[in-house]
Amino acid sequence: MSWRVLHHRFVVVPLALVALVAAWNLYIAFNDHGILEGQVRDRAGAPVAGATVIFFERNAIYFQEKVRTTTDAKGDFRFTGLQHHVGQLEAVTDDGRRSDRRQVRLWFRAQDTEVAPLIVERRS
Amino acid sequence: MRPPSAWPRHVIMIVVSILMLIPFYWVLKTSLTGENIYAYPPRLIPADPHLFNYVDVWYLIPFPRYLLNSVIVSAMAIAGSLLFNVAAGYALTKDFPARRWIVLLLLSCMLIPFQATIIPAYLITSWLGVLDSWLGIALPLLSTIICIFIFKASFEAVPRSLIDAARVDGLSEWRIVVRILLPLSKSAIATNVILTFIWSWNAFLWPLIVTRTPEMQTLPLGLARFLSVMEDTTGALYAFVVLVLIPGLAIFLMAQKEFIRGLTSGATKG
Amino acid sequence: MTWFERKRTREMALVACFLLPSLLIFFLYRILPLGWNVWLSFHAWSPLKPAKWIGLENYEEMVLDDDVFWDALSNTLIFIGCAPLAIAAALAISLLVNSDLKGAAIYRTIVFLSYPLMTVAVGIIWRWLYDERGGFINYVLRSAGIVDQPVKFLQSFDLALPSVILADFWQILGFYMIILLTGLQSIPQHLYEAARVDGVPAHARFLRITLPLLRPSIFLCIVVGILNSFTSFDLIYVMTNGGPGHATELLITYIYKAGFGQTRFDYAAALTVVQFLLLIVLTVFANRLSGGNAGSLER
Repeated sequence: MSWRVLHHRFVVVPLALVALVAAWNLYIAFNDHGILEGQVRDRAGAPVAGATVIFFERNAIYFQEKVRTTTDAKGDFRFTGLQHHVGQLEAVTDDGRRSDRRQVRLWFRAQDTEVAPLIVERRS
Repeated sequence: MRPPSAWPRHVIMIVVSILMLIPFYWVLKTSLTGENIYAYPPRLIPADPHLFNYVDVWYLIPFPRYLLNSVIVSAMAIAGSLLFNVAAGYALTKDFPARRWIVLLLLSCMLIPFQATIIPAYLITSWLGVLDSWLGIALPLLSTIICIFIFKASFEAVPRSLIDAARVDGLSEWRIVVRILLPLSKSAIATNVILTFIWSWNAFLWPLIVTRTPEMQTLPLGLARFLSVMEDTTGALYAFVVLVLIPGLAIFLMAQKEFIRGLTSGATKG
Repeated sequence: MTWFERKRTREMALVACFLLPSLLIFFLYRILPLGWNVWLSFHAWSPLKPAKWIGLENYEEMVLDDDVFWDALSNTLIFIGCAPLAIAAALAISLLVNSDLKGAAIYRTIVFLSYPLMTVAVGIIWRWLYDERGGFINYVLRSAGIVDQPVKFLQSFDLALPSVILADFWQILGFYMIILLTGLQSIPQHLYEAARVDGVPAHARFLRITLPLLRPSIFLCIVVGILNSFTSFDLIYVMTNGGPGHATELLITYIYKAGFGQTRFDYAAALTVVQFLLLIVLTVFANRLSGGNAGSLER
């Protein structure tokens, strides 16, 4: 068997595929802590501290609340240990402002991700 | 005489090609779209395309399990068929009294389509105790007559002097096959592998009959099973279809020549 | 025994050993089932009870009492009868791509691309194409103004079978094309040259040279077309499951339903025997049409 055999498409293509799958799984292994980070801001762009951020998970028909956390002084929030690849986020403040409910879609379960800021505003 | 102009033929073939490719495109576009797929009029270009339908499908249905079942069944069928077809093909190159009858028998077996055998084949598989198992699904594909004849022709094309020299060197029969004949029959091996792969990968009726539990279902069965479950307004079902089609298409495109050669040589030998 | 005889016996044993696994598979899954079907069709049998000889009763029930059988039979014949259309179309395409057209290989691949797909997937794809709301075909028909309301292709008694046949057409066209291309490429070019020199016009060249020499390939296509009505089980199962009330019921789907739905193995066996006889009769008939001897030519 010479090295020429490695050039054949029957060898190169499966090997490339295996390498791809291995690389993807490696990436997943390093990034699957279920961390979801973001910020809550108001209309003007200033961070909102003390807002409650709720993460909803999907069951068969609708989304139900799974866990909530509060933003710190800088308006950042962080969830850890999430297990899902799809969910929804919403931010609520004590004085009645809320943000849109935003859909979160990930590439794999418990993917670490950072979302764009949630904008809270008064809704009538 | 001037050769006829190529333009009309190109135009016709381009129209034909577009017609043949439309189904692929339509399903692909549906699997990528982010809006309600039942909205009328359907858009020609997907609106708000995203790949998350594929992620949903991966987690929503036991896709890995189906994939595993299909891969194992195909691997068993390919390995077994290589072994048995090579052996039978080699045996047929030798001269022995009943040879003509065996060849005739095999040719007449080719006349019996698989669909004429399903009920008793199910009973036999049940009697053998391999219902609802990988072996049970792979069993009928472990030997095919077309491939036996392809190997036979390929082995017969090897010059006798090589074989005689090997025998003088004291190699056993099986060694002769493996060391001398097989390396010279690469295209026959490729054809056998491709044909068996396609037949086992795409098989629907036989696995439908043989599997009794959802865990043993192969990809085509999984597809049919979720047809009713996944008729929602997202393109998830069609993402499933695309995911299922990709391995088959990829392998076909990689091994086109062998596949076509296998089909035509098997066909003309029949 | 002499050395030669011992060697010979060893060789015989080896041959037997090598042939045994394959022959076992064929025996178990081809020959035995065929015989068993025939035997079973003359008996009444349900699992757990011994079989009872009833002669032709299964066949009588099939022919006299069973409307579904006649529907299935006529649908299967219609299905097979549409094969010549597909073969003609494939022949036209083969002629077009056979020449030294630039990019012919790409055209061939595109046309053949549908064949290696899972038939189940093809069924789902076409089911979607025929859909009233999201489907391409209704979209085109309505945009072109040919119809006002969406056409329910797969739910209509008249259109269901042609719709399924069209889906099958899309898949099998590539296979016919490959067979015919192989046949076309084995026609010696010098025949055409001689004809051209003799001043034979193009259409006569086609009728007198191409068609007769393509007979083996055409016969093969017809056999494939007949077998195709059996393998279309997947398509029907996914698209219509027998259709609006048996409008797309084929013999093979009826056999499956009788055997595994109603668990009437004996009746299903009788149906299988009829289907097999149909295959043989049609193949012999096609053989006659292609000039006998499997259409093969003197070589």
